[in-house]
Order: sequence, then C-alpha cells, then structure tokens
Amino acid sequence: MAEIGELLVSAVASGCIYGLMALSYLLIIRPTGVINFALGEWAMLGAFAAVALGSDLLVPALQLPHFVSLVLVIVVIAAIGALTEILTVRPLIEKGAPLLSPVLALLGVLVISLQVGTLAGGTEALPAPPPFGFRRVELGVFAGTPQAFYVIATAIVVFGAAWLFFERTIWGKRFEAVAINRRAAALMGINLRAVGLLAFGGAGAVCGIVGVLTSGGSGAFYQMGLPLAIQGFTALVIGGVGRVEGAILGGLILGLVEAFAARYLPIPSSLVLGVPLVLLILFLLVRPTGLLRAREDGI
Amino acid sequence: MRNAVCWGGALVCLSAIGFAMSSYHLELYQKLLLVATLAVGFNFLFGISGQIAFSHIAFYGIGAYAVVILTFKLGLPLAVGIVGGIAVSALLAAMVAIPTTRLEGFYLALVTLAFAQLLLVALGAGGELTGEDEGISGYGLPDFFDIPLTGAAYTPVIVFVLLMTLAVILRLDNSYFGRACRAVRDNPTAASAMGIDVARTKVIVFVLTSTLAAIAGMAYAFVNNFISPPIFELDRIFELLFMIIIGGTGRHAGAILGAVLLYSIQFLVEPLVGKFHPLIYGFVVVLVILFLPKGLIGVWDDIVARRRRAAAPGKPS
Amino acid sequence: MTGGAAPLLQVDGLTRRFGGLVAVDDLSFELGAGEILGLIGPNGAGKSTTFNLVAGALAPNAGTIRLEGRDLAGLRPHRIAARGIMRTFQHNMAFEGMTVSENILIGRHTRMRHGLFSVLAGTSGARTAETAAVARAAELIEFVGLGDWADADVGTLSFGQGRLLETARALAGEPRIVLFDEPAAGLTPAECDRLSDIIKGIAGRGISVLLIEHDMRFLMPLAERVVVLNFGAKIADGAPAEIERDPAVVAAYLGDPSGRIAGTAGDA
Repeated sequence: MAEIGELLVSAVASGCIYGLMALSYLLIIRPTGVINFALGEWAMLGAFAAVALGSDLLVPALQLPHFVSLVLVIVVIAAIGALTEILTVRPLIEKGAPLLSPVLALLGVLVISLQVGTLAGGTEALPAPPPFGFRRVELGVFAGTPQAFYVIATAIVVFGAAWLFFERTIWGKRFEAVAINRRAAALMGINLRAVGLLAFGGAGAVCGIVGVLTSGGSGAFYQMGLPLAIQGFTALVIGGVGRVEGAILGGLILGLVEAFAARYLPIPSSLVLGVPLVLLILFLLVRPTGLLRAREDGI
Repeated sequence: MRNAVCWGGALVCLSAIGFAMSSYHLELYQKLLLVATLAVGFNFLFGISGQIAFSHIAFYGIGAYAVVILTFKLGLPLAVGIVGGIAVSALLAAMVAIPTTRLEGFYLALVTLAFAQLLLVALGAGGELTGEDEGISGYGLPDFFDIPLTGAAYTPVIVFVLLMTLAVILRLDNSYFGRACRAVRDNPTAASAMGIDVARTKVIVFVLTSTLAAIAGMAYAFVNNFISPPIFELDRIFELLFMIIIGGTGRHAGAILGAVLLYSIQFLVEPLVGKFHPLIYGFVVVLVILFLPKGLIGVWDDIVARRRRAAAPGKPS
Repeated sequence: MTGGAAPLLQVDGLTRRFGGLVAVDDLSFELGAGEILGLIGPNGAGKSTTFNLVAGALAPNAGTIRLEGRDLAGLRPHRIAARGIMRTFQHNMAFEGMTVSENILIGRHTRMRHGLFSVLAGTSGARTAETAAVARAAELIEFVGLGDWADADVGTLSFGQGRLLETARALAGEPRIVLFDEPAAGLTPAECDRLSDIIKGIAGRGISVLLIEHDMRFLMPLAERVVVLNFGAKIADGAPAEIERDPAVVAAYLGDPSGRIAGTAGDA
C-alpha cells in the first residue's frame, strides 16, 4: 500500500510537469493556432538558467536564493517568448502567411534555442540543489521527495492562476474570443498583437517554471527539451486542446499510465520510453480532439 | 534514347569524381549524394504534396536496419534483404499514412514525430537484433564480380539510387499525378471536386517517398558498414527540412541546392563554430521564412524572370 | 423536357435534415441532356443544400440521384466527378500556386485513365494522354476567352476571369453535367453576358447545365426550365415565363424580406 502511495506521488508530480508543458502549448495554440515546438527547448533553457542562478555551477559568482532565481527565470524565459513572437511570428501572421510558416519558423527557433543551450550549458548533466532538501516527506499514505510535493503545489498554483485567467479576467476572455473567431475579435476592438504577445510570453513563463521544477529534481541536461516537448503535447492531445482543464487532465493521465506501466508491465525498462509515444499515436488515431471538448463545443 | 544517354552520362560522371578524392572526402561526397537523395524525396512529400511529416529520416533508418538485420543478423540472401526491407518500409508507411489522411495536417506531423521517436526507442531496446545503442558493424557487401564494393567502387551504387529517386520523382511530378499532388496541397476541397481522391493520393505519396528514403538508407548502410541509432535522430529531420526551405520549397533544384549547400557549409564553418553549425542554419531558416519565402531558388527565378521581361516586354507574365 | 428521351439526371425524393431543420424536403426533378435548368428560391430555400447533395459534398438522409439510371446519392465528390458531373465554386477556388493552364489540366484528372505504372514507365499511352490533355486545355482556354492568359499565374486574374477559369476547368473533365454555383455572383454585366453565351455554348454541345442563382436578370433569359424551391420543397417546375406568373412563386418571394423577383415582368 505504501508502495502505491509513493508511486502515486511521483506519478502525479510527473503528470504535473507534463500538464504544465501542455498548458504552455495551449496558451499559444488557442489564440493563434500555432504549434510552438520550441517550448521544450525553452524549458531546457529555464533549467540551465536555474542552475546558473541558483547554484555555483556555470556562473560561480551568482548563487541566489531559490525563489529569487525562480522569478528571474520566469522573467527571462517569458522575455524569450515575447521576443520570439515579435520577431518571428507576428511578421508572418500580419503578412497573411499560411499557418504553416510560423510553425516552421519556430522549428528554426527550436534549433537555435537548443544550440544556445548546449553552448551555454555544455553536454554534461548539471545538478541543481532541490530547494527543500532530500528528506522523505510523508502525507498519510502518500510519500515522496519534497521536490515532488513542491512540483504538485506549484502546478496547483499555476493551474489555479490559469483557470482564473481564462474564467475571470478580461484578458482571458479576449484570448477565448480570438480563439473562437480571430477576425471578429479584431473587429470588436481586441488588440491582436497584445494577445499574441501575452500568449507567447505566458507560455515562456510556464516553460521557465517547468525548467526550474525539473532541474530541482533531475538536473539540467541539454537534451531534456525534446522529451518534455513530446510529453507536453501528448498530454494536450489526451486531455483536449480546448481548455486548461484538459492540459492537467492529460498530464495526470500520462503521468499515471507511464508510472504504472513502468512498474507493473512486463516490458524491459528501455521500452518504457515508448509508452507516451504509443499513447499519443493511439489518441491521435482514435480521439484526436482529446477527452475534454473546448468550451465553444458546448460542454 | 537521348534521355538514356544523359542519365548514363550523369551516372558515370558522378561516380568517376569519387575516384579523384581522398578517402575522407570520398565519404563526405557519398553522404552528400545520399542527403541530396533524401532531400529530393522529402521535397516531393512536403513541398509538392504539402504533407508535414517528420518521419523521412526514420524510414532512412528503417531501410538501413532492415537490410542489415535481414541479411547479416538473420542470414537471408542480400536480394531478400533488399526486397524485404522495401516491403517492411512500405507496409509501415502505409500503416502510418492510412489512418492519418483523414486528420488535419498537423496531426500527421505529430504522429510522424512520435513514430520517429518510437523507432529510436525500439532500436535502443532491440537487444542483439538491433545492436541497441552500439549499433551494428562488421558486415559488408559481397564482391561484385570480384570487385570489392567499398570506397570509390561503391559510389556508382549511391549515384544510381540518387538518379533513380530523381527520375521517379520527376516522372511523377510531370504527370497528372504531380498536378493532383499540388492540387491536394493547395486546395483539397477543389481537388476533390475535380475528381482527385485526396486520401488515396496522400497515402500513395507518403508510402512512395518513405520507401525511396528507405532505399537510400539501404545504400547508406554500406558506406561505413556501420549503423547506429544517433544517425537517425530528430535533429536530422529538422536539418533536412531546413535544406528544403532554404533551397526553395517545392522545387527539385531547390532541394538539391539546399542539400548541397547545408551539407557542405558545415565543414567550411567548422573551424569557426565547431559542431554548432545548426545554430547558423536555425537563424538562416528563420530569415529565409521571413524574407525569402521562395528560398534561394526563388531568388534565381526572379533574376531569370527579370532578364526575360527585359528581353520581351509587353507579354502578360 | 427535351424530346422524348429519358432524362439524364433524375432526382427522386431527395431529403436532407440538419438537426431539426429540414433543408431539402422530398425533392424530385429531372434534367435532360443538353438542357439548362435553373434552381431558384428565396434565401434559405435549400438551393445550396440541393447543389451540395448533387455534387457529393453532402449525403442525403433519403432519396436518390440517378445519372443514366445509376444512383449517385451519398458518393463523395471525387466519385461524382468521375461519373461525369463537374462543378464550379461561387467563391472561385482556383489552385493558387499554379498557372491557368495547369488549373485547367487538373480539371481533366478523371479522364487520365493510365495508372501510375504507366506514368513511371513513360509509356506511349501516358504520353498520348498528356499531349491530348494539353491540347484540350488550350481549346478550352480559347473557348472561355482566356487565350492570352494561358501561362499567367491565377493570382493575376480578376474575379470575372477566375469564374471563366472555373468554367474551363469544369469542362476539362468532359462532363455530362456541369453544376454552376451562383455563377453571376460578383460579375459585371458585361461579364454576365459573356458567361451566359458560354453556358449556351456548353448546352449546345449536349452538356447539361444545372445552375443555382439569385440573379434573375441572368437566369431567366438563359434557363430553359426553372425549378423553384421554398422551405426545402419544390413549389414550381416549368418554363421561365410560366414561373414568373406562378402565384405560388410570387408569394414565396414577396414573403421574403428581399422583395419581389427582380428582373422579371413585374419589376419597374
């Protein structure tokens, strides 16, 4: 029983990471329709930034308290997101280029980000000290590392904020309006540029958070971006592209399936990496719109 | 007859160049020819038929591994290994293409991305059969009438694969089928109204180009007589995509130009940027998408068109 | 109906619902060879839905659409085209990256019978078919009057020229029937006259024409027979002159906020 409790905690923590990545995709897809494949690499940059700011590696002179470096990482990656939007996505959208063009340009940004990250961080995995130490934490039958609970708590805060944003703020409504009908939204006076900028900046911020959270658990590694990207949009496809709840639902399902498959399925551990991929392909073929439908579909 | 002479001449010339090179340059040349082969096929899939797929390099890998596993791990005759590899690739391509044709464009991108990653996972977990992360080595082609097919003597095989791929793609493109592919790319609704079976066309193109990539992969397997998973990683498909975009999406000459440029330039800039040439390519591709959407070949086209207009003014363009 | 010959197209009991709304209600009509049939009705009468049912863009809930006795109902658009029914699009759906000639050649897709093996092998059959296609496309470009624009990028055409391209492209499939989707929409009066002549020329070659249209000035002089729909059901079927005077038709249009039938005898 205790074993399942531990498994659940670590599975939910992973699921929260996947859900956060899915959220970052969603923040961009909803108003612009663009799939930003570079998000995984932005999380990687966030992880390296966390290591640089928070530990004596990479930049020995800097060793800031965790929450300070968290805020700085969020700001930096959000800025990268905003800059990307202004320089590469906005000109294409305003020129009337087909939706494919910004997606391809963002693949270029993916490669640029990956290369910059590798240049700055090197090819060795860098550990980042977990902000709450290594002791085992127990909450009733659920037990795990402090980092796992920290991840879950942070995800709750971020998803809560995202939900509030979409449900209760005027900007969230603007996002939805642009998602439903871009042209009508523009005619209603909604500033499309501001929405685009906020979308990319927000997605960057969430990626930064993912980077900080994962580096505390498993360090920063230059190739961590691609698995995160795949897990992120797998979670999104499972949960449904239409809304915030879908992102976390998909993330949790993916996390749980992955953890329980690794523990209980009689397959070699090297094949476990294939579980999210198989799940993604299954969902794309059977239910590409995901489990939850978008708000405008009437649910 | 004249056609056969041209193609034959190209085969001879492109193969002969290999004999004049050092073994280091020869290997690069052979790999360049294969990259150009991949570019031509991928350009037909992505640029001309409009399918966003990240599986082209995966099929390159499937072809390579299939022929090596069938022939050297399972001990079947080489001919069976080749035909078997083609069959396996075509079957897998059909399994990917058929269910995805009814989905929107980006879904194919995601499925093929997942498929490519899944292949790497499978290769890494395949035990003795796939050699896992160390790959497979220590095999080689039998002699061809007492000529060992290594080094410069192997170049004709690669050139043949390149020219065959180019010939197939050109023939398809210059026919009603090529027009149908473009129609499906540009406006599937109108294409359907004109009698084109959109799903069937997409599946045929995907299976055909993926199989051609697999054949190129088979040729690749014997360049170094060594194959391993990192050769088929996702970075390679992004590189291939960038070659197409920078050269000129949808143009055969653009694909070859992009392949030759991006493949060669990495060695020229190595002294400056080491292994970080993808950083430059990433910037260039973003700049090309923003400012030169028709690619470098588009620049060439504009120059030619301007000259033509200067020579014969007054005709509607 | 022309002559005593069996009708080319026989629509019988065609019905299509969208949720609770019956868009097309038990519709039956016929189209003879070389006949020009107009399909009219006030807004929301079901003209577009009927058009889409015949073109294969929608499947009916009930009824048959028989072309020379063979039922096409529910077939997808590419199969309908293969059977000999080609269509135009109201908003001109040209293939943007290509020239006028290439667009028309795509219309010929269903007539290219040779398979991919022939294409790859470069057989004489493949070459002959291609040469014939190019020649036919050139003929059709002249027929619609786009002769100087054969190699022009379709993006350079005006909307009216685009409509001519739609027409030539549909004809390239050597259809038995051409469906025109509001062909007069967006055209200048001169362009309308020219298109009207072209449609008469098409019918004169034995090809049937079915057109849905709002513009009565265009339709009434052109159509040999008119079917009138209202709320999805047929309320009249006859020669234009009869239709204009049919009280049920007039009532249907006067009940429509857009007013009386423009272009007919009662119009000032």
